Amino acid sequence: MKKMKLLVLTIVYSMATLVLAGCGKKDNGTLNLFMWTEYLPDSVIEGFEEETGIKVEMQTYSNNEEMLAKVQGSNPGAYDIVCPSDYMVENMISQDLLLELDKSKLTNYGNLYKAYLNPSYDPESKYSVPYLGGAGLIVYNKNMVSADADFTDYEELFNPAYENSIVVLDDFRSIIGVTSLSMGFDFNETDESKLSQVKDKLLTLKPNIKSLDSDSPKTLMITEETAVGLIWSAEAALAMQENENLDIAFPDQGLYLFLDNLCITKDAKNAENAYKFIDYILKAEVNKEISTEFPYLNPNEAGVALMDDEYKNNKAITIPAEEIAKGYFVMNIGKTVDTYSEMWAEFTK
Amino acid sequence: MSNTVKKRRNTIPLLTTVSPVAIWLILLVAAPLLYVFFLSFMATDGYKVVIQFNLDNYKNLLNPTYIEIYVNSFIIAFFTTLICILLGYPFAYIMANSTKKSKTIMMIMLMVPFWTNSLIRLNGWKTILGKTGVLNSILLNMGVISEPLEILYTRGAVLLGMVYTLIPYMILPTFASIDKLDGTLLEASSDLGANKLHTFLHVTLPLTFPGIFSGSIMIFIPSLGFFFVSDIMGGGKSQLIGNLIENQFKAANNWPFGAALSMMLIALILIMVTVYKKSGGDMEDLGVM
Repeated sequence: MKKMKLLVLTIVYSMATLVLAGCGKKDNGTLNLFMWTEYLPDSVIEGFEEETGIKVEMQTYSNNEEMLAKVQGSNPGAYDIVCPSDYMVENMISQDLLLELDKSKLTNYGNLYKAYLNPSYDPESKYSVPYLGGAGLIVYNKNMVSADADFTDYEELFNPAYENSIVVLDDFRSIIGVTSLSMGFDFNETDESKLSQVKDKLLTLKPNIKSLDSDSPKTLMITEETAVGLIWSAEAALAMQENENLDIAFPDQGLYLFLDNLCITKDAKNAENAYKFIDYILKAEVNKEISTEFPYLNPNEAGVALMDDEYKNNKAITIPAEEIAKGYFVMNIGKTVDTYSEMWAEFTK
Repeated sequence: MSNTVKKRRNTIPLLTTVSPVAIWLILLVAAPLLYVFFLSFMATDGYKVVIQFNLDNYKNLLNPTYIEIYVNSFIIAFFTTLICILLGYPFAYIMANSTKKSKTIMMIMLMVPFWTNSLIRLNGWKTILGKTGVLNSILLNMGVISEPLEILYTRGAVLLGMVYTLIPYMILPTFASIDKLDGTLLEASSDLGANKLHTFLHVTLPLTFPGIFSGSIMIFIPSLGFFFVSDIMGGGKSQLIGNLIENQFKAANNWPFGAALSMMLIALILIMVTVYKKSGGDMEDLGVM
């Protein structure tokens, strides 16, 4: 029994010590962060806590819809910062869930490339600050396509010569969008008569498709199972490291882009801390720390400048700003999405 | 002792033992199903579900493209079940008729691989069947073929993945019914002059039929919904009902239509089970219901 008492006392004392140790740090409030999984290095959070004395509570999610449902379902202000993708920013703006940002509080805002600002989903960049993103790139194997193959035009993907030798993302909006672009229509086309033409065109792509894969399309390119791919830029960069026969192309009609953004929620309880956090993330050195760990498309010009040449010269990672400027984001198309999803069922049946 | 007291004496233990299960079933089975049923009559505005009673989702089920997907799913599910019977029954028969030691070994061989996640095992098949995979490399080096075989990303590969994932569900129930077969019946059959084939066709097979049916139900139903098999082995090019439902809940963001599809699938399964019951099948033998 005595031993037991001793044990309990030890535990109580050690817990008390821990609590007191916590008190030693300066206490500048908290910040509730709601972030994609595997998207923000722990070292960055620790650095921010160290510098500001703000305690960061992070929760994670793995898709936009899950994040939206939790923001809507929790008490107002449960999350200070969220990280929605492009179309979800538009959705959240339309539902009045985001705070209009006061840019004067973001001293490092100028570090961002101009090409990433004022995107179609937030035309005046009032609510969102670009964080990380990616693009759908064309990758091809130089040894497996003819020398005169020209991938600066999406039309090349429809060439019957590539029968059963293309891998594309299993993502209906991007593939239908790219098909639209190849015909001179909009990436987010909503005109039903144009869409019925797009459908016919899309079905001519089917014989060329070997696999629809969004999870790891790079594998098929690396193992030379496929000659051509329309895959995520980060995957393309990794594939090129593994197989030196691979090269990428930027089609003239414009890239499919996605971009995740830091936003402050309308009812944020710690809005001031949230501004501090976003400003910290925008710092060039912090950005370098992030993109070293997660080499996605990086909208921070000052951060990119600090990276090594290998990173800067890899066009699959550092996509030229002019390509970004003429790229397209997936936009909400309302009920037209049903036409898209029916078209996709026809394509994948 | 009055009747009411007697009755209460009987109901209290019943209530305490059954109610946890009942609550469990209501919370985790009935409530979600009711929610899906309710959802299938709603609409979306492109952003989210809106509460607006309508039957459009059910009308939409009759779209010719979707009907073709149902038909394809049923064909794949049918052949998956058939192949599982043709491979699984002999395996179960041999297993049931072997010594205790080899029975154990066979059971371990059957079960151990299935302790590994099925996604990992299916991705393993990709390494074997791919264009530069193990199988093609061996055949090419042996000179059996001059061009790599296109096995992966075809309907055949989907079928292979389905059979591979689901075959234990055929072997286990058929093994159970063959194993508990009364040996004296077989002796009687042979005493009465039937040869082995006759005995098998007229005694063993009819008596083990419930095992086969139970296995078939356990294979046919999941194979309609195993979207990941089609995604991994078929390259996402041969959609099943399962893929269609998955898409509605994820990319297409049309939960009400996804719910209507799910209700249709549930209805089809109930019809199949009812047919089985009507044709004289015993629910006890199914063991799954």
